[in-house]
Amino acid sequence: MISRSALSRGSQLALRRPAAAKTAQRGFAAAASPAASYEPTTIAGVKVASRDDSGPTTRLAVVAKAGTRYEPLPGLTVGLEEFAFKAGTQNTNKRTALRITRESELLGGQLQAYHTREAVVLQASFLREDLPYFTELLAEVISETKYTTHEFHELVENCIHEKQAKLDSAAIALDAAHNVAFHSGLGSPLYPTVDTPTSSYLNENSVAAFANLAYNKANIAVVADGASQAGLEKWVEPFFKGVPATSSGNLNTAASKYFGGEQRVAKNGKNAIVIAFPGASLGVPHPETSVLVGLLGGVSNIKWSPGFSLLAKATAANPGAEAFAHNYAYSDAGLLAIQITGKGAAVGKVAVEAVKGLKAIAAGGVSKEDLTKAIAKAKFNLLSASEVSGTGLVHAGANLLAGGKPIQVAETLKALEGVTAEKLQAAAKKLLEGKASVSAVGDLHVLPYAEDLGLKV
Amino acid sequence: MSAPSLVQAVAKRGWLNKMLKPVSNWYINAAGYRQMGLRADDLISEENETVLAALQRLSPKESYDRIYRIRRATQLSLTHKLLPKNEWTTQEEDVPYLRPLIDQIEAELAEKDALDTLAVVKN
Repeated sequence: MISRSALSRGSQLALRRPAAAKTAQRGFAAAASPAASYEPTTIAGVKVASRDDSGPTTRLAVVAKAGTRYEPLPGLTVGLEEFAFKAGTQNTNKRTALRITRESELLGGQLQAYHTREAVVLQASFLREDLPYFTELLAEVISETKYTTHEFHELVENCIHEKQAKLDSAAIALDAAHNVAFHSGLGSPLYPTVDTPTSSYLNENSVAAFANLAYNKANIAVVADGASQAGLEKWVEPFFKGVPATSSGNLNTAASKYFGGEQRVAKNGKNAIVIAFPGASLGVPHPETSVLVGLLGGVSNIKWSPGFSLLAKATAANPGAEAFAHNYAYSDAGLLAIQITGKGAAVGKVAVEAVKGLKAIAAGGVSKEDLTKAIAKAKFNLLSASEVSGTGLVHAGANLLAGGKPIQVAETLKALEGVTAEKLQAAAKKLLEGKASVSAVGDLHVLPYAEDLGLKV
Repeated sequence: MSAPSLVQAVAKRGWLNKMLKPVSNWYINAAGYRQMGLRADDLISEENETVLAALQRLSPKESYDRIYRIRRATQLSLTHKLLPKNEWTTQEEDVPYLRPLIDQIEAELAEKDALDTLAVVKN
């Protein structure tokens, strides 16, 4: 921590330039490729996953098992995320939110707090040599934040209202699809809408209670991308000593169950349809799902060309709509979702085409060329996700918390190459035989029902 | 809002504290705010930003009670009366509920000032 005496007017704040940092810098011609997977360890009771690419910057994150799946009441995850770095820790030696911000700015670091359905992530990106400072900062935010009433009303509530106003039809449709698919747990909305009643559940006391349950050594993982193992071993231990080992209560960790169903929401603005099926979870490898996602496609990596995947062809025939497929992988369940957004009736037409295409795969299989393209796309998605620094952070943390190994890229690649047309056909058939989760948001007059699409709900 | 004060110096020295306590009690009695049912912190002038921010941070109950006490005192002042003895503010009730909030806000402002006028020198 930058000491208080350094703040007095006119005094000097010397930035540290240890000699060791110079030797760690690599020239641009360095040829070593980054390690693709995170190495899990345990340092002083804290689960740590690290990956060192010897670059000049580090991304350090504390991933807590406190996502919307685990929140005891609606809105608590969002409240927890908003309180991070904003609320102060105002005891004698600790610092206010303003000081945290100013000090991080001086060091050139960036602080983020965000959440997924399974985790709340507090992330810091900074220059390599500032690892001790930001390790201390993250540990302090976790264990010493004061959840005060005035900060809740002045800061947190306003931020939440702002973010709620930005929710569009696509986000609501995806939340609705998760809701009918999983009901509670994973089915809780990722972000509560303006109309969701949270005022009786969300206040500074409930968030403080949730923080007690969530921020303890058994429930968090520290993920470092770009930090040396030695550095982590040196600094995690003293700073995370103040984090309690366990909490008194328990977060609800019921296993996910897939239900399926249909939900329609009337809303002004764009139309959105999400057609979802049970997908691949993080723990159980299911390469057919990734290849199916590649086959359905929708997102083209080639500029100015919509691509030739199934969804791309459907959107080319019905201008005004965009579509893509994605597998949302969670620790014990997954959701393969086809998301279509756009204006007017084109959305419904693309949905019809998408289901028709899926039925064609289930009935007649895939051509060799399409299979090759799909496998290549799946491999590219996997490799690009693990190469770009920063992504994969949350997955590594979530994996570590769930007790599994971080994703082993090489093995997954081999499994992808082993997918055949028959396996893909069988997978598609299985999806269509079970219940689908369909959500339609927007102008319900033009959006089709799941039965009209030909799906079982 | 904070004036220079010798309170800390007196509190630290037990003998001085004991000596000045009766003087303090006489002064509070003579000030007469307790006979009108007020607390010491009710008398703090609220016409400045710091105290306004502190008042925002009071809990709803404390805020309501404060306004009730002030209205009651205003009425007494209007009618030139005092409360009956059993309704005077007691020593235990006369807690500084607003002072700590004001100190907190002043500390925050001072910290902001210090951070704004930081001088960074790179070696």
